[in-house]
Amino acid sequence: MPILEVQDLVKDFGGLRANNHISFSVEKGELLGLIGPNGAGKSTLFNCIAGVHQVTAGKILFEGKDITNHRSYEICRLGLARTFQIFTSSGDLTVIENVMVGSFLKTRSRQTAKKKSEAILDFMGLSGLEDQWVSELPVAAQKRVAMATALATQPRLLLLDEVAAGLNPTEIEQTIGVIRQIHFDMGVTVVLIEHVMELVMNLSQRVIVLDSGTLIAEGKPENIKQNPEVIKAYLGERYASQVTAGGEKI
Amino acid sequence: METLKNIFDFSDSPHRDLAVFGIFTLFLFLFPVLPHSSFAMATMIQFLMFSLYGMGWNTIGGYGGQVDLGKAQFAGIGAYTTAIMLIRWNIPFWVSAPTGMIFAIIWSFVIGYPLFRMKGHYFAIATIATSLVLLDVFEVWDFVGGARGLEMPLKTMPSFLYLQFRNDAYYYYVLLFLFFLGFFYINWFRKSRLGFQLRAIKDNEEVARSLGINAHWCKIKAYAIATSFVAVVGSFHACYNFNIEPEDIMSLDLSILIAMMAMIGGAGSLWGPIIGAAILIPLKSYLGSWLGGKAGLAGLDLIIYAVIIMAIAAFEPKGIWGIVEKSRRRRRK
Repeated sequence: MPILEVQDLVKDFGGLRANNHISFSVEKGELLGLIGPNGAGKSTLFNCIAGVHQVTAGKILFEGKDITNHRSYEICRLGLARTFQIFTSSGDLTVIENVMVGSFLKTRSRQTAKKKSEAILDFMGLSGLEDQWVSELPVAAQKRVAMATALATQPRLLLLDEVAAGLNPTEIEQTIGVIRQIHFDMGVTVVLIEHVMELVMNLSQRVIVLDSGTLIAEGKPENIKQNPEVIKAYLGERYASQVTAGGEKI
Repeated sequence: METLKNIFDFSDSPHRDLAVFGIFTLFLFLFPVLPHSSFAMATMIQFLMFSLYGMGWNTIGGYGGQVDLGKAQFAGIGAYTTAIMLIRWNIPFWVSAPTGMIFAIIWSFVIGYPLFRMKGHYFAIATIATSLVLLDVFEVWDFVGGARGLEMPLKTMPSFLYLQFRNDAYYYYVLLFLFFLGFFYINWFRKSRLGFQLRAIKDNEEVARSLGINAHWCKIKAYAIATSFVAVVGSFHACYNFNIEPEDIMSLDLSILIAMMAMIGGAGSLWGPIIGAAILIPLKSYLGSWLGGKAGLAGLDLIIYAVIIMAIAAFEPKGIWGIVEKSRRRRRK
């Protein structure tokens, strides 16, 4: 049984169809990449799965259970956590406090939550930053705190929305390492949205591609790179025909 | 056991803060035996009452970030429950205050459920509206004495059970006990699961919900906690003042004053409401008595509050405690 199954999902915003009959599934233990140009409907798809948006039609199953249009806090409690593309914090919480918010999902005890959060921060390479204000950290660290907080809810499936956006090459490298650890060491199934190709192609076992709300391709990273549909979506029709005709004109 | 430890856990406060609070505590305990005027005593009692009001408000308004401007209705429910139970059935304060608290909590659930579907200014305005509606109801409701309010019947002897004393110092110590009860509860609350969840909601509600937090229910719970503080102080107010009027105990003025304590002292901090009350209440009573006698200047104290509120809103939304923390952070760097 797949851990996540999206069946024929449709999401309309007024007259705009953001997700057009999308179906795919994620196997337990997989690391799936979700790519597509800006406005392809990736974040909308995440928001539908995580219960932020109400879907127009279709069905979402998590571990066989129908979670379509459940509230986001219910979905998190079932074991499906997510991070947000834009990290916003008014700055009232320190790093450890932020992660403790996640830990408190599974315990009432302050001491237990604190101990667990320290362990997660250590695991994420953030120890030493416990008492810093989240809003005063560099972007890379903020994104890692967001991941740590989501992980603190002990999810079995983690949706990561653009965790590498705006990072420099060294930081991207580190983020790749962290996601690998989450996937292999913690055994969490991961789906990630990403624009940074280096990260997606490096990490993903399988990639699905959205364009204008439709799923246009699915496969191993190396095959996706050569898929003419994908190249067309990213680079436009004219460039795609040049590439597929064999002309290596760049 | 762990809870007990957490109630008295001040490990995140610098020693200097604790020392200042320790000296202040000593002062609070000794105040009635120090030489003082009866006016000073009345002011101190007001200070303790408003500290408690502010601590209560701080749970939902400070930690939860939901600006509630309708707290007076719950003070009214507490005060009226205590008064009516005494007048009709001769029931002592220590029974009627918890009963009033329960009535207030029930009412907070009834109105909290729809209120927290709203956010920001809309929420604030709606809380004002609910409080004013209840005020109007009480003004025409004969059972509760209508607009004339209620007079507390006097016992022949001073009584701890009925909270009737000839000497204000007794009221003072009862209130001081409630003050520390409230203070240590808040110290536990702010680091409890609900406290963390509220701060996460204030930080970013959508993110909080994605972390498994039922934001709506958390706010309703915090609203009920704030309400219980306010209701108990309302009950105390009835015994201390001997008479209650809707226009007084359920007024918009009181609602706003309650919110101001924490906002000026520092919303969402442990010390905020106490600092706010320590500054505003003496200012209010001394300024009021000084200006009240002078014709043509009667409204000046209100103008001064308005200026303070505007200054806080413009320069330091986290209040006086925010200024202290900011300067500390700057020094550490």
